[in-house]
Amino acid sequence: MSNDLIIKDLHAAIGDKEILKGVNLTVEQGVIHAIMGPNGSGKSTLANVIAGNPGYEVTGGEIWYRGQDVLALEADERSKLGLFLAFQYPVAIPGVTVANFLRAAINAHRAEEGKDPKETSIPIAEFRKLLRDGMKKLEMDESFAKRYLNEGFSGGEKKRLEILQMMVLQPTMAVMDETDSGLDIDALRIVANGVNNFASPHMGVLVITHYQRLLNHTKPNVVSVMIDGRIVREGGPELALELEDKGYDWIKEEVVGHAS
Amino acid sequence: MPVKRESTDAAVFSQSPALAELSVDQIAATAQAAGEPEWLIERRVEAWSFFAQATPPEWRRTNLSDLHPETISPPVEPQGVEIVWDDTLSAQGVIFTTLKEGLQQYEDLIRTKLDTAVAPLEHKFSALRAALWQDGVFLYVPKGVAIEAPLSVRYTLAEGRKATFPRSLVILEANSHVSFIEEYQSDDTDDSTLAGPITEIFVGEGGSIRFASVQRWGAGVYHIGGQKVVLGRDANCEWTSVALGGQVQHIEAETRLEGDGSRVHWIGATFADEKQNLVIAPWLRHVGAYAESYMEFKTVVTDEGYSVFDGMIKIEHESRGTSTRLEENAIHLSPTSRNDSIPGLKIDTNDVAKAGHASTSGEIDAEQLFYMQTRGIKRDAALRLIVMGFFEAALNTIPLESLRESLAEAIEAKI
Repeated sequence: MSNDLIIKDLHAAIGDKEILKGVNLTVEQGVIHAIMGPNGSGKSTLANVIAGNPGYEVTGGEIWYRGQDVLALEADERSKLGLFLAFQYPVAIPGVTVANFLRAAINAHRAEEGKDPKETSIPIAEFRKLLRDGMKKLEMDESFAKRYLNEGFSGGEKKRLEILQMMVLQPTMAVMDETDSGLDIDALRIVANGVNNFASPHMGVLVITHYQRLLNHTKPNVVSVMIDGRIVREGGPELALELEDKGYDWIKEEVVGHAS
Repeated sequence: MPVKRESTDAAVFSQSPALAELSVDQIAATAQAAGEPEWLIERRVEAWSFFAQATPPEWRRTNLSDLHPETISPPVEPQGVEIVWDDTLSAQGVIFTTLKEGLQQYEDLIRTKLDTAVAPLEHKFSALRAALWQDGVFLYVPKGVAIEAPLSVRYTLAEGRKATFPRSLVILEANSHVSFIEEYQSDDTDDSTLAGPITEIFVGEGGSIRFASVQRWGAGVYHIGGQKVVLGRDANCEWTSVALGGQVQHIEAETRLEGDGSRVHWIGATFADEKQNLVIAPWLRHVGAYAESYMEFKTVVTDEGYSVFDGMIKIEHESRGTSTRLEENAIHLSPTSRNDSIPGLKIDTNDVAKAGHASTSGEIDAEQLFYMQTRGIKRDAALRLIVMGFFEAALNTIPLESLRESLAEAIEAKI
């Protein structure tokens, strides 16, 4: 049983349009792994397919994590397996408070087959402390807990809430989909600190980003480049800097060059 | 001290004839025996005559095919009227009593308002209600008196009851305030039972009311109701309409913004499941100048439930500077459920500040479900959270925590 996230020859489509055209990728435990690529290269599709979004059709390939065939699992089962997706565009859910939602999520993780949910649910005092500590670390006001999920949130507030969810659910493999987009400098620093605090030898992080910005704060161990639905290059942190400096065109040319 | 009392002095028929066997003379004799004033007996007789000759209204979306009014018997037991309030308020001149008792002591006050909001001779069922109403509540709040704790009445059905016709009359004098809760509740009944309630509320100049109307009859009950709130100058109404129970519901409701600068915020929550057919026709009628209204109704349908939102904004010729908006959002949880949303806007004046309506209808948002599932929440639990959230704003306006909680439970049980 491997604690790495292993993706083999993954193909996925939206409707008739194939977006992922054979992705091969391994995100190792204890590693911060960045995927960079131009807009439309399929990065967000990859994130959604890993998390199990039913809006995407997987047309081929495999995803394995901790000995489980991830593609055979519902989205909630993937979460319980330790996978987490920080959304690029978190959804607003009117009438559901942040606190109620987080408690439902935590209790869903604590639930055990054949046991009364009352037995396994988090004690209220423990939950409050967990929430308070998390919000403090992310420099969120306490009133945040009573607001409706993502409703009327600024871009920075939404991303902080994603990190807060990651902190309380403690996944072992987190996919961060463009978490840096739409953030000002302060929010970026807070979010990056959240990711850095979260990363540990027991956890893997897949950071999907278009820019170098977040990577200045969160140092990746491995950088993969995605173009046109495939991983076309893998390197160390220096690859991110090179991309920042030179853009993506040179890689595209090389890839096309290899292909022809 | 909060007191709870039940009505015992209803005008009742000595036997239990079916409606088809009732005569004008019996109606008059029964009312006379109960000591009702002459004007009221005349009204009953007039309403009964109207009922007897009228053909049933053609409500295309309300399924009354299994309701046979002629076979229904008017109540022989006292009405189920449960009043809960703090009777020390009577020292401030507040009156909260059964309508029958009220007629004994405050006849003139009742006579000037009764039947002036909900027209008795509108159609066959309105006439039936006006002819046969048994009892209900009379709430009167004097000038300048503000009551914080909610006053509530619960209308229930005794076992085996085939019909009930309760009515509420609420009069708020200038600059007074009250929270009033009206609840209809019963167990399931095997046969079709008719409930025909009338609610009339008058809010005087600068007065304000928080009004919650909660329909949670058991299965088998046909609720054909009329409700109207009339707002005076600068009067304010916050109205919550909850519809969860019954077999068929047809409610004609209206806020009449008669006074200049009057305002209403009207929130609705309807949930139709199994084979329920829940129809509500809420009207905003603008008469006064610079009045403001906002209506937001939330509807959920599942199983073979069928709900209808027949909302209307009517801006009368004499009004000026109206600001109004009407919204309905509906969620379908099953492919065999149905919601008809028919928002309307009729404007008879050139002087309107703002007027609009919108409605949405669809399945539960797949992105919302997915988002919750990625946090480990199972699909059915996520669905429940989303639906509860959908009704949250409406439930939050219910001014009684115990009722809020029991409504939340009732909604969860339907999902």
